[in-house]
Amino acid sequence: MARAPAPALPPPPAASGLAWLRRRLFATWFDAIVTVLAGAALVWLLAALIDWAFLDAVWSAEMRERCRETAGACWAVIEARGRLILFGLYPHEAHWRSTLACLIVVATMVLSCLPAFWGMARLAGLWLAGFGGFVLMMHGGLFGLPVVTTEQWGGLSLTVFIFAAVVVLGMPMAVVLALARRARLPVVAGLAALIIDTVRGLPLLTILFAAAVVAPLALPDWAQGDKLGRVIVAFAVFYAAYQAEIIRAGLQSIPPGQEEAALALGMPWRSVVFDILLPQAFRNTLPATINQVVITFKETSIVTIIGFFEVTASASAAIGRGEWGAYYVEVYVFVALIYFVFVFGLSRYGAWLERRMRLIRG
Amino acid sequence: MKRHLTAIAAWAAVGAAGAALPAAAADPGPTVRMIQERGSLLCTGHNGSYLGFAEVDDRGNWSGFDIEMCRALATAILGSPDKLQIIPVSWAQRFPALQSGDIDVIIKVTGWTMSRDTELGLQYSLPYFFGPTTIMARTEIGARTPEDLAGGVFCINAGTSIERIVADYMGARGIPYEALNFEKPEELRAALYAGRCDALAGFGPFLAATRFNAPDPEAFTILDAVLALEPEGIAVREGDDGFVDVINWMISALLMAEEYGITRDNVDEVRANPPSASVERLLGVSPGVGERLGLSDDWAYRMIKAVGNYGEIYDRTIGEGSVYRLPRGKNHLWSNGGMLYPLVLD
Repeated sequence: MARAPAPALPPPPAASGLAWLRRRLFATWFDAIVTVLAGAALVWLLAALIDWAFLDAVWSAEMRERCRETAGACWAVIEARGRLILFGLYPHEAHWRSTLACLIVVATMVLSCLPAFWGMARLAGLWLAGFGGFVLMMHGGLFGLPVVTTEQWGGLSLTVFIFAAVVVLGMPMAVVLALARRARLPVVAGLAALIIDTVRGLPLLTILFAAAVVAPLALPDWAQGDKLGRVIVAFAVFYAAYQAEIIRAGLQSIPPGQEEAALALGMPWRSVVFDILLPQAFRNTLPATINQVVITFKETSIVTIIGFFEVTASASAAIGRGEWGAYYVEVYVFVALIYFVFVFGLSRYGAWLERRMRLIRG
Repeated sequence: MKRHLTAIAAWAAVGAAGAALPAAAADPGPTVRMIQERGSLLCTGHNGSYLGFAEVDDRGNWSGFDIEMCRALATAILGSPDKLQIIPVSWAQRFPALQSGDIDVIIKVTGWTMSRDTELGLQYSLPYFFGPTTIMARTEIGARTPEDLAGGVFCINAGTSIERIVADYMGARGIPYEALNFEKPEELRAALYAGRCDALAGFGPFLAATRFNAPDPEAFTILDAVLALEPEGIAVREGDDGFVDVINWMISALLMAEEYGITRDNVDEVRANPPSASVERLLGVSPGVGERLGLSDDWAYRMIKAVGNYGEIYDRTIGEGSVYRLPRGKNHLWSNGGMLYPLVLD
């Protein structure tokens, strides 16, 4: 029995702001009450926050005596201790070098995020130049720059450097581990699995502590290297263990037929891996990868336990002094903002990358 | 290069002194020799700032009581307070860092305990500071002793040894009190400022900082009573007696200078006109204080010139001259009712 098509409905009326409000927030009495209550709470919270952060706040270090009386924030602590938070123990007169070094690493990271630089040779060149520039700036010793040993490195540039170095070193390790774990040779696959599971089974804190403090007891002098170097390598191995599993998930999501077809066509193994498998694996696991990278950025604060003055340690140095001990909230808010800027940037980059890849695919 | 030259010069000086007085020449031990070769002392800092003892100023320079001790030791061994590298280490890291050679010495409010002394392979110097657990009361109560606080409310950091120390002390004296426990130091402070307790029990320097940050610092008074005392020593790797000698005599020289009234400002005058044979020896006018330790004869003079005597260091960093205004208490010389004493310089 043939059915007649339903008559066409008129288009829904264009929603005016008021109608939207009524439909979404004031549809029933109950909705209205909830809306009003929640709205009032929100306004009250915002007002209190604005009072604290802006209206009642003390801004300048000269006015710091007023910090005792005011109910608002004492931003004076940031003015007085801000450079300590940003630069740690780095010599005061050489702060410009730390700033420049930080910019170099950030620029290197931003550039390696751009598709124009995605190629083995280009990335390698970029990273060599970027990290070389950073170390030259921070450590000095060339071009008349006085030497600043790694014990004095600190603040934001150290945080950013550790993060960038860990990801840049850890990512290739992760690829190798992921491929090895899928290898047909049982010894290679077993070894990769053993490494991944062992490293994942240990807390990051223990790994870093062992690298910084225990390794010098066990290693001969020539193999010790710099403490910062050991810590970065250990951190990178930890990162690689997690990232390897993410990449392996990406590899498993590719139908095996693709690899088989490529091999059947006589494509070399290198080409199969780098032109077919890895690009898709990375694309499929982009959200998880960005996740891991963001976690790594935040976890850099753990290095404070082995005596590195990255941003969090510098912040605790800033408030660990009699005059400023009471204004820890302001300092933590400041540090949180620094982390937020970087992590939010990473998240937006991830979102942009996903959109771009969808376009290519579509 | 310059560093090498100074190291060579120092070696030459040590060698010359040894050659001139073979009977009195002493081996300063492997650590001191290593420090002299390196031309700098590797001393403990903190991974952050630790109230009054190891702090970082606005320009990223270290200061504080323990840091001044490091500077004194650097001057004693190397002749200059600037031949010092402060290595930031966390609490947990200090012992392994010493064993692995990342640092030469631990000067980090480190209590002399039996397990550390025996199992961790540390050797302690004489105590250079007695860390008091004490009480800070609201000034308006007018309390001078813990007995005056009978029946009062005490704010205490929960889960720390302070809780037990207060209970033991008050229990032994039969003083009733009510404990109000807080997990975090910040909560503790907020409760005190809000008037929720009559007194706060804790580590002396912490109490002093809490008082300083109060809306009205005058509203709180730190009592003289000491509930418990932790002797803090300077720790080195076991088996280096020469280094321990140097450290003990460094502490002793700082105390002796205070006893004789020798300060940073008047040390040159006193050295020009030494009032006694002991002072002559201390300041290196007559030989004796140096080569027996394997150091130069004017090390104590240079040290006092650089950092002052013990009292000056205390006042500058945690005492009356600092924001903490922590009373000397047991950290006075014995002659002022404290527990510190110099050894005999003969």
